[in-house]
Amino acid sequence: MMPERRSITTEEAQALRHGSAEDRARLAALAAEDAGLTDDLADWDRQDAALVTLYSPVAEEPLPDRLLNMVRIARQSPPPRPTPVLWRLAAAVALLSLGFAAGWGGARLVPGAAMPMLAQAAMASYSTYAVEVRHPVEVGAEDEAHLVQWLSKRLGTPIRPPDLASEGFTLIGGRLLPGDASPAALLMYEDDLGRRVALYITRSEGAESELAFAEEPGRQAFWWVEDGLACALAGDLPRETLRRLTISAYHGLTEA
Amino acid sequence: MPFLDEIEAAIPGLRAYARALLRDREAADDLVQDTLEAAIARQGQWRGDGSLRGWLCRILLNRFRDGLRRRRPTATVLALVPEPLDLLAGRRGDDRLALAEVHAAMGKLPDDQRAALLLVALEGMSLAEAAAALGCAEGTLASRLGRARATLRQLTGRAPVSHRPGKVGE
Repeated sequence: MMPERRSITTEEAQALRHGSAEDRARLAALAAEDAGLTDDLADWDRQDAALVTLYSPVAEEPLPDRLLNMVRIARQSPPPRPTPVLWRLAAAVALLSLGFAAGWGGARLVPGAAMPMLAQAAMASYSTYAVEVRHPVEVGAEDEAHLVQWLSKRLGTPIRPPDLASEGFTLIGGRLLPGDASPAALLMYEDDLGRRVALYITRSEGAESELAFAEEPGRQAFWWVEDGLACALAGDLPRETLRRLTISAYHGLTEA
Repeated sequence: MPFLDEIEAAIPGLRAYARALLRDREAADDLVQDTLEAAIARQGQWRGDGSLRGWLCRILLNRFRDGLRRRRPTATVLALVPEPLDLLAGRRGDDRLALAEVHAAMGKLPDDQRAALLLVALEGMSLAEAAAALGCAEGTLASRLGRARATLRQLTGRAPVSHRPGKVGE
């Protein structure tokens, strides 16, 4: 029979075991007083050793040409023009040719002054909350009237969640986040495949800005600033899908 | 080190991680190829101020999740694909049996737990690095690791005897 462990929880032990050198020393000190923990640590060491023995030899196998060729081909072609920051604003130009301007009211669609903080905040919020199974939102869509009242009050301007049903996305709720000029509202939408997008809205005292596109590994956002509101729609979807959602969101927010 | 050299140097490690994650040589190399393509295309986004390995793992895990979404309808069929035995080549006796047990148990873990455990155990990442690669909070990762380790222990015949009534059979 295995001795019981009392000093710390398994989660805490995991955090220490894979933490800093200081953390690991603390864990060793705890284990010295706790036979159950010592036993767990020995077991986890065995698990790690087995996983390394099983899978690390794969790294010694000769590399297939198809993987080496990825790098070889890249070496022969000139490197892509480095973007000064993460943001790729060229999408705004592409949108013009896609006929986006027709539905865009008076907004200017020229790539210009970047406002990366907005897109960054929206994408970070998307990444943080869209993966949440249990707590993606603070107030659910079933309480939409309360959600609208609450967010409008905290942002100091009417916030009405746009209807994205035409694109297959329904509101699942929203939450309040820290913001710059005002707190920010994050509205979360989901489609029937379980894909989520997050609409980030905050007050802006800055200049109005054209629609722009930002991209990072695993997440993208369209963002704009108009009529004192800075908005960004973030998700991990094909750009065309995100673009259509952005158009719907823009209309929903501006044609109240 | 120039970007492409660093990418090339990372390929063997990515292959091992992908193989352990997907448990199929071709599918794993597909995933690595996909990851390399995305990383090279987004070369301009690499700021060089973090761990390239972490960035690559992050791309790989995003692609992995995208792939899961796409293949979900046929998941039951994919589950019947025999597991590769080449990982156990050259192993004998008890050692082979124990490793085969661990490999089989890894296959039974939920994808997110397997992905998390391999980042710390195989890749040797810290909790913070692994949480960044997975795009989740460190607390979430710690509990995911705890669950993965408990399940692994149970499935490899080292389950602790439960002392607490009501916990049995959970």
